[in-house]
Amino acid sequence: MNAYLSINILVELICFIIACICLSGDKSTTWKSWIVYLLITCTTEITGKILRHAHDTHLNEFIYNIYILFEAGFTTALLSKILCPYTNAKPVIYGGLSLLILLYIIEIVQHGVYVFNNMTTTVMSVLFVLYGLYYYYLLLKDERYIKLKRHAPFWWVTGIVFFYFGSTVSNLIFSIIVVEDNSDTFRYNIYLSLNILLYSFLSYSFLCRYLQRTSSS
Amino acid sequence: MQVSTKDFQLLIILVTLIFLIAPLFLVIYINLYNSRKKRHIDEKAVMKEDFEAEILQAQMEIREQTMQTIGSDLHDNIGQLLSLTNLTLKSVELNDRDKSQQKIDTAIGLTSRSIQELRSLGKLFQGEQLISKGLSIAINHELEWLNRLEKYQINYNNDVAGNLQLSADKELILFRLFQETLNNIIKHAEATSISVFLDYAADNLTLTIEDNGVGFNTTVVQKASAGMGLQNIHKRANLIGGEATIDSRSGLGTIVQIKVPY
Repeated sequence: MNAYLSINILVELICFIIACICLSGDKSTTWKSWIVYLLITCTTEITGKILRHAHDTHLNEFIYNIYILFEAGFTTALLSKILCPYTNAKPVIYGGLSLLILLYIIEIVQHGVYVFNNMTTTVMSVLFVLYGLYYYYLLLKDERYIKLKRHAPFWWVTGIVFFYFGSTVSNLIFSIIVVEDNSDTFRYNIYLSLNILLYSFLSYSFLCRYLQRTSSS
Repeated sequence: MQVSTKDFQLLIILVTLIFLIAPLFLVIYINLYNSRKKRHIDEKAVMKEDFEAEILQAQMEIREQTMQTIGSDLHDNIGQLLSLTNLTLKSVELNDRDKSQQKIDTAIGLTSRSIQELRSLGKLFQGEQLISKGLSIAINHELEWLNRLEKYQINYNNDVAGNLQLSADKELILFRLFQETLNNIIKHAEATSISVFLDYAADNLTLTIEDNGVGFNTTVVQKASAGMGLQNIHKRANLIGGEATIDSRSGLGTIVQIKVPY
């Protein structure tokens, strides 16, 4: 791949294009807002790649620190929307969001904006996994039957659970174990696999959303 | 902690895989559970359809039986009374004033009985209208009518506070069971006293009908009866999710108790 593109960015771009096609006509603003979020994701990744190429790690980490805010905001908003039909999830969601903001500020104060906020990312991953599992629990508890094969929220949450479950483990292991050489490439490959998994599930969920909209109109 | 790169990579891959297998099984389990949920919903729908079909069948049977009762009452009872009235009036000899008066009085008596029989037949048609006001009111109405005959000492004890609402179909079947039991008492029991208790306790509605009539051997009668009768009382009570117990002994009256869960 060249200086601006990588498999990771390519996967994200494909997902962004699918989101543009499937979600542009969506009635829900929260779902539609994911087009914007994926655009931010692609822009961040491309910028990050360029900066990495220019060996500017500080600026790179600064950009990813800003990206965390978007990631937390957009994912929490959609999780809240998905949990809404089953329960009043606002206290849990707002509680989690407050905790993330608090951690974010603490980390920024501790080491400034040019070092990546690892703690915030790890806690955010754990929170998203917990929200996902909570959704599964509510789904099991609900007496109504849902056709899961074409149920967009289910596949979206599944993508989130798989990605953050896997990345939490990797984050934790990488933070406690020190490796001498080529760990970056290996770490990148792990994240790449998880990213492919995540964006496949997300793309499928957007497609389900599109099919649901077109079949009901 | 210092770990060689190869071991480290293997460890990461294994742990990540294990952590991915967990949600994978969870997703599979949710899918299976969801399929079971669908099967359960389908089964419930079939059961509901079956239940509704059985209720309909029971209602049709009740209607058929009502028509048979009306037919046989018109032919055997009211028909006979009117024939007798006709004969009595035909035999009136206007020359014999005393005898004529006696026969006219007899004819008036027969006509009154016919009217009474017709009214009692009319009650059979009123069931559905009566039950729309609630079971308790319908039972009260029926007993008030019976009380006017002045043949029985009636005792009605209603412990149900307010107006409990069963489904309309269930209430009608319970009320028909009550009417059926009451008709059996009138026709066969030779009773002088009828007591009715309506009671609600422990999520069960219990309707008890007691008489001090001649009673019968339940085992013998249950074996002998065909079609409508004691067996049908049990069958219909079961149909609305309840149970009927009939306790009777020769000379000691009868107690019919129908218990329906609310």
